[in-house]
Amino acid sequence: MKIEISDLTFTYGEHAVLRGATFSVPTGSFLGIIGPNGSGKTTMLKLMSRLLKPKGGCILLGERALEEFGHKELARTMAVVAQDTTAAYQFTVEDIVLMGRAPYIGRFQSETTEDYRIVHHALEITGCTHLRHRAVTELSGGERQRVMIARALAQEPQVLLLDEPTSHLDIGYQQEILDLVKKLSTVDGLTVVAVLHDLNLAAYYCHELVLLHQGKIKACGLPQEVITVENIEEVYGTRVLVTPHPVFGTPQISLLPGILNRHKEQKAPHLHLIAGGGSGGELMRDLNEAGYYLTTGVLNVGDSDWEAARALDIPVIAEVPFSGITEERHRENLALVTEASAVIVAEIPLGHGNLLNLQAALAAAEAGKPVYLLEEKQQNRDFTGGAGAQLLAAVKEKGIVVREKTRLYQLLKDEYPLETFGVEKKGAAH
Amino acid sequence: MSRKRKLLLYTLLLVVLIISVVAATAIGAVAIPPSETLRVIVSRLTNWEQLTQNIPETTVAIIWNLRLPRVILGALIGSSLALAGVGFQGLLRNPLADPFTIGVSSGAATGAALAMFLRQLTGLNFTHMIPVFAFIGAFIALFFVFNLAKIGGQVPVVTLLLAGVVVSSFLSAVISLLMVLAGEDMQGIFFWLSGGLVMRSWPQLWFVAPYLVIGFLILISYARDLNVLLLGEETAMNLGVNVEQTKKILLVAASLITAAAVSVSGMIGFVGLIIPHAVRLVTGPDHRILLPTSALVGASFLVWADVVARTVLSPQEIPVGIITAFVGAPFFIYLLRKKKKEIRL
Repeated sequence: MKIEISDLTFTYGEHAVLRGATFSVPTGSFLGIIGPNGSGKTTMLKLMSRLLKPKGGCILLGERALEEFGHKELARTMAVVAQDTTAAYQFTVEDIVLMGRAPYIGRFQSETTEDYRIVHHALEITGCTHLRHRAVTELSGGERQRVMIARALAQEPQVLLLDEPTSHLDIGYQQEILDLVKKLSTVDGLTVVAVLHDLNLAAYYCHELVLLHQGKIKACGLPQEVITVENIEEVYGTRVLVTPHPVFGTPQISLLPGILNRHKEQKAPHLHLIAGGGSGGELMRDLNEAGYYLTTGVLNVGDSDWEAARALDIPVIAEVPFSGITEERHRENLALVTEASAVIVAEIPLGHGNLLNLQAALAAAEAGKPVYLLEEKQQNRDFTGGAGAQLLAAVKEKGIVVREKTRLYQLLKDEYPLETFGVEKKGAAH
Repeated sequence: MSRKRKLLLYTLLLVVLIISVVAATAIGAVAIPPSETLRVIVSRLTNWEQLTQNIPETTVAIIWNLRLPRVILGALIGSSLALAGVGFQGLLRNPLADPFTIGVSSGAATGAALAMFLRQLTGLNFTHMIPVFAFIGAFIALFFVFNLAKIGGQVPVVTLLLAGVVVSSFLSAVISLLMVLAGEDMQGIFFWLSGGLVMRSWPQLWFVAPYLVIGFLILISYARDLNVLLLGEETAMNLGVNVEQTKKILLVAASLITAAAVSVSGMIGFVGLIIPHAVRLVTGPDHRILLPTSALVGASFLVWADVVARTVLSPQEIPVGIITAFVGAPFFIYLLRKKKKEIRL
């Protein structure tokens, strides 16, 4: 059954929890709702399950508005597995799952053999058959969660909503539960919407994701469209790396340490690196580790050197993806070049888009600033039909060409000693 | 629990209750053999006059007019309080809830105290004056508690309990004030408050019986909803229960039963708290079994509690509420200690 949500708003008193959310869930899809704490995920799920009434907007279940459903009718269409399943009652597993049949049984009727058949089927597919005579209070968290899913399935719903179904479980149970849920959507055609806390699990299991941020949808679509460095950084305020899953290609997030580049405060020598296309990653890592205050630019967002600079918390002048360097960025770059003690030019491939970077290096050299050019591979890397090579030659004339990184490091060490800096630090400590 | 076992359980408890009623009727200041007691009861119920031929008129009168109505009333009150207890505990999902927590009994008690006070002050008097006042008091209290607890059209359990406690405390103060003002008549109010079945007969029995039957039927028809409510209100909603409406209906039904019981017998404590817990240990939490079983057990329990109240300091009678508290409190402590973990529904 298809779910359509349009312009949904909700407020708790004065506080706007949801501020206009629109998305739809196709039949048989597994949609994950992600977002930081307080972004409105659980509120969204409660609105969808009609535990809360929206302030504005509407929710369509199939062709009908959610509020048109009768109480029992809704329970026969949609089942919900809540987040907190701590049990304070001594019901057996079978009793609990049998309660899933409540919307089908009249006030003065009792359960039929058909009800029992459905319950036993639900117990079977959730792997709970052997638990059916146990009290729910005796079960582990993972078992109890499976029982709650069995109860939901006994409702024979077309839509299944789950609120953080794996939040208190260890990884084995998380996988078990989500494998089951995924199978219910792909094989049995159940439309599943789950609030998930773990972004990697969400990206791995869900067909589509909705990323909520301060009550609004920040991004919505396929996992690779939603789980991006920019989105995660903006919404969660954390530094991450997004890489494809090695086997399935779904985006996976790696956390990065919140490195604070203190080299500037500690008055370390300032080096400016001109790189791009993966030529500068190693240099950045090494020079940063050595203790220099390193800056870099101009790099396109998404370029692997840009990723490296961000990963290492190196100040970077960034240009929008796939665009040539604009005048504005060039000027910012020149400012850093002027500030730096020396400029290092990595072995960059030369294209029309990044010639301005070489211009910056040339400007530095002409102003009498030391410019080190790394030339390890010595292969043709000019893709501009001559202009690049010409410019490079001009820079080389005024700069210092180095054949090996180790040699470069040696030169830098001699020219910009870090020992002084180390001694100073020691002195400061006393 | 299988149908066969359920039937066996109900039959057993019913037999125990009947034996209890007959035995309790036989016991008293004038000892009457159980066989004679049984003959009087059967003869009266079936209009079979020959059965009582050689039994003195006074004995028949003692049994039929004094003891039997009191014993049956005890049974009815006992099952009322137990039923109301099950209802409140399930509805509020709180193991400590009973007819007294929600303020309904305090309302009834205030109504009764006011009736006695007015009777003394103004000479106003009519049939069932105390029960009628008690009844009105109970529902005024429920009305206040309910509206105090209401937040935006919903009645959360926590605020309901809090409102119940607040209203109860306030009403206790009102009762104390009335007792002080009543002066000489204070003992009457005090005795009534302690809960007892002294001087109760057929009229009081007929007064309370219909409410008990109606209340029981409502509760039992919502037994499945009570079960589902134990999973939490939100889960219950997701399972198709109209939670707010169900809460209101159950609250009124349980209050109706409580008000009726308290209005004729005063404040008999602990029955509504202890019986549901004790029964739950045997039957489990399923309200479809818990409700009828608690009703039957509660009935037998109060019948015997009243026997003790009548005989232990004979010829002096003590209020049965004292007996139930003496038995109930230690039993409750035993339950707490034995389970060690939290008491579950």
